[in-house]
Amino acid sequence: MKRSEKFRQADREALATVAATAVIIVFWYLAGFGLADVPVKILHTPLWFWTGVVGTWLFATLLVIVLTKCVFNDKDEEKKEARS
Amino acid sequence: MSIVNLLPVVVFLVFLLAVSAYVQKTSQSQRQKDFAKDYFIGGRTLGGFVLAMTTAATYSSVSSFVGGPGMAWVIGYGWIYMAIVQVVVIFLVLGVFGRKISLIAEEIDAVTVIDVIRSRYQSTALANLSALVIVAFFCATMVAQFVGAAKIFEAVTGFGYLTGLCLFGLIVVFYTTIGGFKGVAITDSFCAIAMVAGMAVLLLAMLKLGGGYEKMMTSISVSHPDMLEPLSQGKMPMSLYISQWLLVGICTLSLPQSVVRGLSYKNSSALRQAMIIGTLVIGAMNLLPNWIGVLGRTVLTENLSAYGGSVDNIMPLVITHSLSPFWASAIVIGPVAATISTVSSLLLSASSSIIKDVYMHSKAEKGEKLSNEAIRRYSTLATVILGIVVFFISIDPPSVIWQINMFAFGGLETAFFWVLIFGLFWSKANKYGALAAMSGGVFFYCLTMALKVKVFDLHQIVIGMFISLALFFLGNSFGKDPDRKVLEIFFPEKTEK
Repeated sequence: MKRSEKFRQADREALATVAATAVIIVFWYLAGFGLADVPVKILHTPLWFWTGVVGTWLFATLLVIVLTKCVFNDKDEEKKEARS
Repeated sequence: MSIVNLLPVVVFLVFLLAVSAYVQKTSQSQRQKDFAKDYFIGGRTLGGFVLAMTTAATYSSVSSFVGGPGMAWVIGYGWIYMAIVQVVVIFLVLGVFGRKISLIAEEIDAVTVIDVIRSRYQSTALANLSALVIVAFFCATMVAQFVGAAKIFEAVTGFGYLTGLCLFGLIVVFYTTIGGFKGVAITDSFCAIAMVAGMAVLLLAMLKLGGGYEKMMTSISVSHPDMLEPLSQGKMPMSLYISQWLLVGICTLSLPQSVVRGLSYKNSSALRQAMIIGTLVIGAMNLLPNWIGVLGRTVLTENLSAYGGSVDNIMPLVITHSLSPFWASAIVIGPVAATISTVSSLLLSASSSIIKDVYMHSKAEKGEKLSNEAIRRYSTLATVILGIVVFFISIDPPSVIWQINMFAFGGLETAFFWVLIFGLFWSKANKYGALAAMSGGVFFYCLTMALKVKVFDLHQIVIGMFISLALFFLGNSFGKDPDRKVLEIFFPEKTEK
């Protein structure tokens, strides 16, 4: 890959990372505040805690897995390996 | 109190020391080739797991394990809901800056974040200002870390403040000095594991003491129903959520101690792994201690005034109530690990700013080249002296130091946010914009913090960020576009025909 292409790829990755953060913020808001008035409780704990806190944590991890699989590619790997 | 109780902490610290000594031994040959590169950045060899752990451990400080859970004890689940916004802090910085900064570092052989800033903006003034900001805010943070850890050590083990400070304070300074960046990264990994494991053990011990999770929750929902609401009946206002999303969420993107980790990894699969593992780990680091804080309400049932009126007393009391003196002292490893993993990274970054960014550069400008041996001597000396100074300030700290932790966090974010983002992603950004943004942003941030001026009841980070952004555009209009040489390094896609 040419150096300029690597930079374009880095820009794409940065942009996708920012987008993922925005998605997490929306998820966090909806899963927490959005469900705060739902009277359901699990283990005597309100639903919004499970979705908004534990849910946000797991959702963020899953989203980062998707992000790194789909957007972050590995084409600069060979060069790095050759260097070291 | 028995001296035997100190055994676990001592064993842990001696283990870290041994790890650093081993790293020093195995790095000899690389250090003889290029000392600064190995010592300050680990020769760009970190794998995904270590990169994730060191970034998370450096980020998580003693306040995540003491002050934070204490607040959770007061506020309830709303506090954890706020704390969990920090799931973004690892993947955001690695995803946005990680790849680009390492591509640039390869080209200009950068060892520090300031190397990158200097070569992007071609300004020694900006580099020196950056070094000043880093050293000042890092030292304040390190003192706050030491003080916090020595206090919880004293409260839990019964041994004195100074005993604790001497024990982990001197050991962390010593192991950082000999281990360098790689030593810091590997010991950070053990610290991260100790933090999560310690909190998991404490949570289980508490659940056992309180008769199980459901029983504890039933008691909380009867006695403190407000603790089950996100706004905690006004104790957790929306403005605080927004402030925290900026202060410990989005703006952490520019913390130099995190950004520098983008220079240190081996290859892109390490970067991707670190983003995933880091997110998982940082979530656990924020969830567990705060959950303990909330459930602690069933263990410590009086009002806060009965516990000395300070939320910082809650966590030590929860620990001593839930565990026998020996195991309570062992659990102190958690907060101590959080402290030393932050201090080690900041100490090394601060000394790299002084030696690599200011001293070595000023020598180079005069045309003098330092030998590898001289670099080794000065770098090690700077690390140990800075560490000892911080240690001595912590023995009798200024009274405001505890608040300085969050203050320094915001200051670093304000200083570097636009300078790094525009520097790496906007080809027209120039040094006048960057200088105005950094100096003006930090100045107004500190001023409004000191005067307690707020806008819409939001944290002063908002003011700092806005003023810094406006000043960047203003200053930028006075400068000219970067040279072609700079563009070729930083924006090759703009210069190709």
